[in-house]
Amino acid sequence: MRFFLIPLAAAAIPLVANPYTQFMVNLMLVYILVAVGFNLVLGNLGQLAFANTALFGIGAYTGAMLMAHAGWPFWLVIVPAGVAGAAAGFLASVTALRGIRVYYLAIVTLAFGELLRWSYIHGERATGGTDGLAVPRADFFGLALDSETARFYVFLVIVTVLVKALHNLLRSKIGRAIVAIRDNELATASLAIPTGRYIVLAFVLSGFVVGIAGSLFAVLIGRVIPESFGLIELILHFAMVLVGGLGSLFGGVLGAVALTALPEFFRGFPGMYEMFFGGLLIVFLLVQPRGLAALAARWFPALRERYYRER
Amino acid sequence: MFALQLALSGLAQGAIYALVALSMCVVNRATTVVNFGHGDLVMAGAFVVYLFVVLAGLPFVASAILAVALLFILGVLIELGLIERIKAGPHIGFALMCIAFGYVLRGIARAVWGREVLPMPTVFNLPPVFLGELVITADALVIFAAVGVLLIAFFLLFYRSSAGRVMQALCQSERGAALVGINVRAFHGVMWGVGAALGAVGGVLVAPITLLHPGLGASFLIKGFAAMTLGGFGSFGGAVVGGLVLGVAEQLVGGYVSTKLIDITAYLVIILVLALRPNGLFGRAIAEKV
Repeated sequence: MRFFLIPLAAAAIPLVANPYTQFMVNLMLVYILVAVGFNLVLGNLGQLAFANTALFGIGAYTGAMLMAHAGWPFWLVIVPAGVAGAAAGFLASVTALRGIRVYYLAIVTLAFGELLRWSYIHGERATGGTDGLAVPRADFFGLALDSETARFYVFLVIVTVLVKALHNLLRSKIGRAIVAIRDNELATASLAIPTGRYIVLAFVLSGFVVGIAGSLFAVLIGRVIPESFGLIELILHFAMVLVGGLGSLFGGVLGAVALTALPEFFRGFPGMYEMFFGGLLIVFLLVQPRGLAALAARWFPALRERYYRER
Repeated sequence: MFALQLALSGLAQGAIYALVALSMCVVNRATTVVNFGHGDLVMAGAFVVYLFVVLAGLPFVASAILAVALLFILGVLIELGLIERIKAGPHIGFALMCIAFGYVLRGIARAVWGREVLPMPTVFNLPPVFLGELVITADALVIFAAVGVLLIAFFLLFYRSSAGRVMQALCQSERGAALVGINVRAFHGVMWGVGAALGAVGGVLVAPITLLHPGLGASFLIKGFAAMTLGGFGSFGGAVVGGLVLGVAEQLVGGYVSTKLIDITAYLVIILVLALRPNGLFGRAIAEKV
């Protein structure tokens, strides 16, 4: 029950926020899903991957295309966006079944992500090319999502459900297998756990969560463009997971909340964005490789997680 | 004839890919780290040359030597200052560190460069060479000559000199090398420096024939990986052959199918090779049976 205290407290935010800060809070909710989804692969599975922006993008494009071309309402596109993300996660990682691991698998995900971005740019008829695709006004079971506050409550519910689901998943057989593969794949395989399949499964689950985040992102921003899912975005995803805490669910949430608003400050200064987030990664890797979650757990033992080492 | 002409210009491009892939291989073999920031080192090489030539007005050859020397130092500093210090951590940390410094380099380039794409003034004002109906540009000749000389020097050094034997020992077993009195740390630093410097040569050679922008690094990283994958990871000769094959394949795909596909040839090569023949053309087994 303690788990639900945070979203309950967060429900009061619209009382004090102006539309701009409310927009930022909504963006944080989107990035919470991005970070916890990515963390499942990067932190829990311990597998380097570059496909996260691709999964985010395919969710956003699936949502936007279904709404713009097929006229589906918003609530109906959330699950298809997640499924599209999961399918992309499957394709990005399917070579794991052939024994491709670690760096080589990371390189495949890098190639796959760039391939997808290329197809957004060149699939003009469906995606609008480099100009992007405008997302029609969203409604949620008849409720018009035209204010930041309305979006906030819908997003909050979706994010709470998904984070809780991941929380449960990590304590299930699947979650334990994923963490065990990170710690020692050979030992895990010796327990008759098909490690290749679990690696693919982790990518699929991560793709589902990040794909849904993509559809929320599309509705929040109102336009999807290929540029939003490139390498510039990728460093933000990496930074959120690492700053929050590799392998910590709570850390993913912390990282997203801490970093979402920062890119706004670097608008007018070309290059600042990359220098700042690159530098931030370097500092955390050198000084605090377990991220903010480890600090939080040291100060508040109640925040300790079972499958996460703070060392 | 058309195909031959395409293959020829592909070889010039491929020679640069070969150099980039070889330089990535050097770091990978010597330190087991796969450098995900390597493309940005190549970009930095091109960028520094541009600065020296256009802003400082130095001659091209002097700028090139300065750039390669600077990148060597940068490589050593990265290994000793960043990579060495997280040795105890999980291997994913190395990769993240490489990604991080790559982004920092890209950010610095963007901050100095702004948002424009910069053309470098032509360096080699030589007439093209005609071989029957084939045309070889002077740029291509310079690239062939430079890459050829470097490759021969590198392979002689690695396989025929005593320093090369030390490097081979390190590549085979770090602990064994340390036991016979080799300074492993120093050599890691040197190998990072050599890798960065070789990559910088790629950047220097590509600077006069292409438009420069900070995003160049990412595309070189993928091209380098594609060449390495094609040749087989960890094989120096394979990286060179892979680079040349990739260069030719890009031009053929561009000439016969669609120029749009030039950009994604490398991605497709990576995915297809790792899915169908993970060890590449000449590589050791990388797929582990678990």
